[in-house]
Parts: sequence; structure tokens; C-alpha cells
Amino acid sequence: MSHLIHIEIDDLDGTLLRVLGLIERRGFFIDAIEMYPIDDKTRGLSVTARAKESHRRFETLYAQIDRLYGLKRVAEPRKAAAAQKLSA
Amino acid sequence: MINQPTGAQLVISTLRALGVDILFGYPGGAIMPIYDALAGSGLTHILVRHEQGASFAADAYARATGKVGVCMATSGPGATNLITGIANAYMDSVPMVCITGQVGTHLLGTDGFQEVDILGLTLPIVKHSWLVRDPAEIPAILSRAFQIAQEGRPGPVLVDIPKDVAAAFVKDVPTTGEFPSWQPPQPDVADIKAAEKLIEQSKKPLFYIGGGVEMAFAVPQLRALMDRTGIPVVSTLKGLGAIPTTDDLFLGMLGMHGTRAANIAVQDADLLIVLGARFDDRATGKLSAFAPHAKVIHVDIDAAEINKLRMAQVGILGDLKMVLDGLHPKMQDISLWVAKCKSDKKKHAFRYDAPGTGIYAPALLKLLSEKAGDKFVACCDVGQHQMWVAQHCQFLQNRAHLTSGGSGAMGYGLPAGVGAKLALPDHHVVTVSGDGSFMMNIQEMATLRRYGIPLKIVLLDNSSLGLVRQWQRLFYEENYSEIDLSDNPDFVTVAQAFGLDAFRITSRDEVDGALDRLLAADKPTLLHILIDPRENVWPLVPPGASNAEMMEERWDEPLDSY
Ligand SMILES: Cc1ncc(C[n+]2csc(CCOP(=O)(O)OP(=O)(O)O)c2C)c(N)n1
Repeated sequence: MSHLIHIEIDDLDGTLLRVLGLIERRGFFIDAIEMYPIDDKTRGLSVTARAKESHRRFETLYAQIDRLYGLKRVAEPRKAAAAQKLSA
Repeated sequence: MINQPTGAQLVISTLRALGVDILFGYPGGAIMPIYDALAGSGLTHILVRHEQGASFAADAYARATGKVGVCMATSGPGATNLITGIANAYMDSVPMVCITGQVGTHLLGTDGFQEVDILGLTLPIVKHSWLVRDPAEIPAILSRAFQIAQEGRPGPVLVDIPKDVAAAFVKDVPTTGEFPSWQPPQPDVADIKAAEKLIEQSKKPLFYIGGGVEMAFAVPQLRALMDRTGIPVVSTLKGLGAIPTTDDLFLGMLGMHGTRAANIAVQDADLLIVLGARFDDRATGKLSAFAPHAKVIHVDIDAAEINKLRMAQVGILGDLKMVLDGLHPKMQDISLWVAKCKSDKKKHAFRYDAPGTGIYAPALLKLLSEKAGDKFVACCDVGQHQMWVAQHCQFLQNRAHLTSGGSGAMGYGLPAGVGAKLALPDHHVVTVSGDGSFMMNIQEMATLRRYGIPLKIVLLDNSSLGLVRQWQRLFYEENYSEIDLSDNPDFVTVAQAFGLDAFRITSRDEVDGALDRLLAADKPTLLHILIDPRENVWPLVPPGASNAEMMEERWDEPLDSY
């Protein structure tokens, strides 16, 4: 079953690859990625991921993402607000 | 201009402000501004002879002291040479900060001379990393790097600094930056109560401790909880020493080369109290057959470890000290269980009465640790000798068994000895190595000589890659493939050429005197010991098998699978 993960990442070198690499390496396929600006220093990232084997647990993946620095996992993307700000 | 510091000078002044007293490194093009600022700064820099040595030495310095280890290298090959050490620190959760030089920012991404994307290469093996683009940020980034390396579950942090950033002058000198001090998560009271209840219900409880206990500085708290409860203990490779290995309730290491008593206790226990350990496959054997009757209480500072490999009935996220202090279960009578554990320990105690007159390495290592007493610190390489140290040496103190656990990196022992002896000058720091491993960082003997570091080296020479040989014998039908090292150099002559004292022993009656001579030495000294290549590590749980299936071959019995 696939999960949709929303993450807000900083603008520093490596953060995007750090989190995408982690998801793959820890045993998940990435089926879709979407990125969107949130503010000058923050980008939103939504990843649709699916476990490669049945014993790979999303709870563990979430904890592994949460222990990275420079990003935050969020329940809802702030995409709409960002889009509004950009068009304004 | 004169009063404006460069980025490089900010690196040095920040390291000093952070309390760094020693760092290990090797210079080169891209990091020259930092080496320029280093000269005359008062910081002690140890020039190793290979960057891998710098990363291992920094790692061991950190393990021995609990402080952050620091290493430094130039871009490209210098940086890639650090990688094995970074992975090692990551796998064993060692707090380390690695500073690398990088090509100038205008050359980034152009395949500049000695350009390597070290940030990208190390993403999976660091806790965090930076490519510094603004020299004014150096104090804040380095300070944060030290904090991250230590907070929660420790680990390595990389700071990559382009040459122009290090060389640039900084107008407004920033302070180191204030960060909210990190607070460990408060253990949930309900979880503690639930754990107490499981302990109270248990007839056969067992502590399974890992390296997290000493890293959390929770040794006294564990001791007190053991005294309150009388529960026996088994340990992982990295947990050895947290409880003195001579303790009555200590059953030994569990897992592939664990003691029978430890593995039997785990298989029989009805409750495992897992403290700062992570169900590594070398410890658990076949996971589905591991501790089949046990409920699990898992205490860790890293939420990602709880329920990763084995579901816990009670998972407690938090600082071990607080959790252990909070546990006050009213014990039921577990004396039958404890008596069974102790009698297994006695029944399956290691034997040292090997036949013949050749040197029996397990007996030698046991004697070495006993002679060195509570000042004994072992820095191991990887192989049979490493497992013999874990099985047979006594450890009376924590932070005294420095070994490459999760990574199993041959070559760790000698540079680790450099770092550990500098950290603990009054201890009997002994590198225990094999003839294969020793050659991987043999150049660090030059570092011993340069700084007069009186490390003691025990080189167990079986003229082969012993552990690989053992597996080929047992699991590959004695098809010995590429394990012969009978053309080794004369290690005594080599060590002497590096300026060490060195001597060799070949028979059992020389052991006692040789160990006394080694321990009394006040110069770097190598003891070269010839042992029988056919000697193996027992017991052994075959890879992928349950820990209940321990193979053992004894002098008076044929190879046996229990
Ligand atoms: C860097 C590295 N390369 C390869 C291995 C695989 N390996 C594990 S033990 C071993 C043999 C070690 O030989 P030696 O150092 O002589 O120790 P012994 O087992 O003979 O005591 C090898 C090759 C490893 N762990 N690390």
C-alpha cells in the first residue's frame, strides 16, 4: 500500500537528496514526487512511497525521516498558501 | 583588514571555544588555509599517515572519553579516505566531527582538481552535514555540528569547507551561535508503569544491554537497578564492560560468538529488557527464532530503533538514566531462574586447558586483561582475535572495549590505539590485532613514534585471514580461497624499522614473561605472537541460524552441533 508523505525542507545543500535517498535505502519505492515553494528558505515535498517488502514498516521510516536535520514531516502540505502568495 | 579573521581562523577559534584539545588529520591543497591558521594556534594536531587513521583515531578518542572526536582532511582523496571511519562511527553511534577542505565554490560541479562530492557520498553515513558557503556562518555551523554529534543518539557530522570560504575575511565576526540546549525526551510515566508491570509478572527476566548504556552515561543507574532487582544480564559486543564481566549476574555476550549461558538465557527468558541495543543480526541470529518466549521492553533514545526489527510490548523513548532511575518493580521470586542462569554459566564456562605447547590466544588474552586490571583498555581489529577479546578478556570498566562493532572494519585497531592512548595516557591501552588487519593501517606505527605514544600492540599472527578461513572451513567445504598470508613480512623487523620496541614469542611458556614485559614498557611496543592457524572461535552460531544452534569443537570432542 502506498503512503503520501509531506515534508518541508530547508534550502541547504543535500537536504533533498538526504531524505529521498533515505526513503529508497530503507526499503521503499518512490512512485511520485512533487515539490513546491513555501517561502524563501523552505520548499514543500510530497512523496508517494510504497514498501519494497512486506516487513518494511512506515512507522520506522517516519521515525528515520524525523531524526534527520533540516526538514520537518507535516500532516498537511502548505501548498495552497504558497501558491496564493506566489500569484499575489 | 588586519583584524578581520578568515574563515579558517574562525574554524580554529571555534574549535578552541568548543573545548577541543586534540584533532587528527592530514593536510592538502583545499584545506591549506585551515592548516595555515592551525599552526601556532595552540590546538594539538596529530598528523596521522593516512586519513583513515585520522577518522579511526578520532572515533576511538570519542569512545574513550565520551567527548566529540575531531578529524580533518583535504578534498577529494583526502575526504574519501575518511569515509570508512565515518561509516564506522555512524554504525556504532560515535560522536565525531569531520572537517574537509573542498575546492573553491566557483569550481564546485566542474570536476575541479580533487573535487569530490563528499557531502553527497556520505549522506547515508552521517547524522548531518553541511557545505559551508558563507564564512561568517562557520562558528554557528561548527557549534551546531558538535551539538548534533552528541545529542540524542550520537553520530558523525561532516562539515565541508570550500577553499575560498576558508580563505575569505569576515567583517562582522559572529559569535558561536546560541542554540537551545537539547533536552532528552521525558520518558512517559505510563510506559514506565507498564514496564514495571511486565517485570513484576516475569518469572524469567533478562537484561539485554548494548552500547547505549555507556553512551548515555547510565552505568551507575543500570548497576542500581540490577541491585534492586537481581536480574541477570547479557550484553552485545558494544555493551561489554558496562557491567564488569566478572559480575555474578553477568552471563556474557549474546549472539553469533556469544557464550552458551547468554544465548541459552535469551532463548529461555520470558522477558527481555533491552537497553540501548538494536537487535543487530549478529546478536539475534535468526530473528524469528530469537527469544521465542520473551515479551520485550525496549528502551532507547532513538525512536527509529523501537519496533524496527522486533515488536516491543513496551517501548520507552527516553534517556536511559531517567528510565532506569524510574523503574522500581516489586520483584517476585526469580531465584530459580537466576540459579539456572548461573549454573549454565558455570557448566559452559570457557576452558583454557588447550593441549600442546603452542600459544593459546584465548588464554593469553584473558591473562593480559587480568594483569592489566581495571586500567585495561582494548582497541581491537576485526577477526577471530576480536571475538576472542570479547569472549575472554575481563572488562572491569566501561569505555574500555573499543571495537568496530556495526561496521566490522579491519584496520581500526592501530589508529584506535593512537586515539585511545592519547585520551587515556594512564591506562594500559592495548591494540589487539591480527596479521591481516594490522597491515591495513600499519603506517600508523609512524604516528606512535613521532609523538612517542606508548601504545602496546598484541599482534596475533596466524598467517591467515583467520575468521574467513574459519567460515570457509565450516560453510564452504574447506575450499580455502585467498586467505593465506604466510608471506607476511617479519613484523618485528618492520616495527623496529618504525622505531618501536618489538619482540616475538612462539611457545606457551613465554607468555607470562612477555606480557609482563609488554605491560611494563614505557615506549610503543609490539608483541608478535605466532599462533596455530587452525585455531577457531567457539561457540559459533552459523549465519542465519537460531542462537539455539551453537556449534562447538573442543579438544576432547568432535565438531558438534548442539
Ligand atoms: C576492511 C575489511 N575488509 C574485509 C573484511 C572481512 N574480514 C573479516 S575478518 C577478516 C580476516 C581478518 O584477519 P586477521 O586480521 O588476520 O584476523 P584473524 O581473523 O586471523 O584473527 C576479513 C578479511 C573486513 N571485516 N574489513
